Formats: sequence, structure tokens, C-alpha cells
Amino acid sequence: MLKFLAGTGAGILLALAQSAQAKPIAFADGTTVMAEYGAGTMREVQAFYAPYYWLSLGAAVQRTDSDIDGGRRDIGTLRANYLLKRWNLDDAQANVFVWGGLGSATGNRFRGSVLDRNAGFQADYETRKVYFSLMSDLHESERYSQRIDTLQLGFAPYEHDYKDLATWFVVQARDYTGGLRRGVEWAALVRLFKGGAWVEAGLTAEGKPQLMAMFNF
Amino acid sequence: MRNGKNTLFAFAAFAAVIATAQPVAAATIEMDVNGLVCAFCAQGIEKKLRAFPATTDVVVSLEKKLVALSTKDGTDIADDELKKALTDAGYTVKAVRRESESLDEVRRRVEAKP
Repeated sequence: MLKFLAGTGAGILLALAQSAQAKPIAFADGTTVMAEYGAGTMREVQAFYAPYYWLSLGAAVQRTDSDIDGGRRDIGTLRANYLLKRWNLDDAQANVFVWGGLGSATGNRFRGSVLDRNAGFQADYETRKVYFSLMSDLHESERYSQRIDTLQLGFAPYEHDYKDLATWFVVQARDYTGGLRRGVEWAALVRLFKGGAWVEAGLTAEGKPQLMAMFNF
Repeated sequence: MRNGKNTLFAFAAFAAVIATAQPVAAATIEMDVNGLVCAFCAQGIEKKLRAFPATTDVVVSLEKKLVALSTKDGTDIADDELKKALTDAGYTVKAVRRESESLDEVRRRVEAKP
């Protein structure tokens, strides 16, 4: 518990410089570039262009390092994101996104490269004060099957407006399957965004850093 | 007397024709929008509206759930085009109205703290 609280405090202090939540489609005719460092277990870079508000196309590169056996997988995929449903409410917005992709993967537990199949979804709900999101990202091949499930709950200490610096405090629970990690990984994060830039920083309960940066233009 | 009335009528009719022939003044248009909760929403909407050649400036207020824009002198944007632009950006337009205020006045009004 002390470690978790220390992680929360350090996360707040580490915060440098986001919408309350990362979405695979930011806006129509918009480009999104995102990089994430997930506590040493997962690293990912994504770039998408959205011709419409309900579709984006792009590529993602992900590296996972198992906390259990040191197994490493490097996966590159071409991916399409689709907004399945959006609810525009008076003071809130909710979305369901799905995605799918194909790519290639290499690893230190198998030879050569294998075909990777990627599928996932994200459901989110956001007001100017709170947000909730649940995301699941599955990668499968003939040599592995791994899924990363991420639950986030955030609240804003003040209601920001457009052009203001927005601040969010986020609690995250993440579960890895496919031999990547045992148990749920908890993290406390601070997320700041302004205009099209977002930076997020924090620590897991084990004291490992989690960082993310995203730019929309 | 009758000639006087006819002259007055003719003058009034001429004045009306002249008035309607004047170029349309710059417009300030306000829209109430649902789903406006984040800066990225606003960024996408601003980008869409600035793409209209007639647009001179855009104001977005998350707090007031309002999007406003001004147009160049002599130009206007039809309500249907504005609604389509916001729908294409992924948002729901509840109402569109023309304001007599300038966009700067709208900006001051929406930015005023209660």
C-alpha cells in the first residue's frame, strides 16, 4: 500500500504535460501519433490517419518483454480502427471502438517471423470531470497468443475548457495474458494535455515508470 | 396629393430594392453541440469549420457546449452545411442560430466566469 501511495505521489510529481482518454480515432482528417512505455513489459508506437471520424488507418509497432521468463516479442501490424457506436450526450460522450490488423512478429522464443493477427476493442465514457475506459488488445500467431486488458478510471480536479491545460488523475489496472506477467498491474498516472498534445506519466505499484505521449494534428 | 403618395411609394420601393441589394454583412453563427467534452473534440470541430472559405474565426466552449464562428463580409454559410460539417466531425448539433453580437463579444461572454 505504501508503495502504491508513493507511486501515486511520484506520478503526480513526474507529470509534465491530454481528451481525458486516448482514442484510436481522434477526429476526422486528423493524424494521431502515440508512444507508450508500459512499465518495462510493453512498449508501443502507433500512427494513424483518420479520413472520417469513424475510421482510422495506420500502423503499430509493439515490443513485449515477459516478466516471467524473459521472452520477447516484436510485433508490427497494419491496423484499421472503427468507431462502432458513439453517444453524444448533453454533458458526456461514450464510444465503442473496434480494430483489427495483420502483421509480422519475431521473438527470442521462436525462429523467424510469423504472421500476427490483431483484434481489439475500447469502450469509454467521458465527461469533463470523470472518465472510464476499458480496452482489450489481442495478438495471436501460430507461436503465441497474448492479450493486454486495460481498465482506466480518471477524474479531473477542475473542469478544463478548450485552450486550457487539462489535468487528469488516473488509476489504471492492467492484465497481461500469454505469459507476459502474473497478476494485475496497478498504476497511478497524471495526464496533462493542451491543444493537440498529451503527456502522461506515473508509476506502477511496483515502482516501475509508465509513460505516454500523444499528438493529434 | 395622389402624385405625392405615388412618389412616396416609389421612393419606398426603391429604398427597399437598394436595401436588399446591399451585400450581406458578416455573420456570427452559434451552435449548441452535444458530446463536446474534450479538447480533441474541439480541435476536430475547429479544423472542420475553418475549412469553409467563408470562415474567419471559430470559438469553441466546452463549458457552454457551444461552437461559434464568424464569416467574411458578404458571406454566409447555410445551416445545413454547418450541421453536416459537425455531423461529419462526429458530433450532434442541437440548434443553429444567428447572433447580432460579434464573435469577440461571444468569446467574452462564454469565457466570463460566473
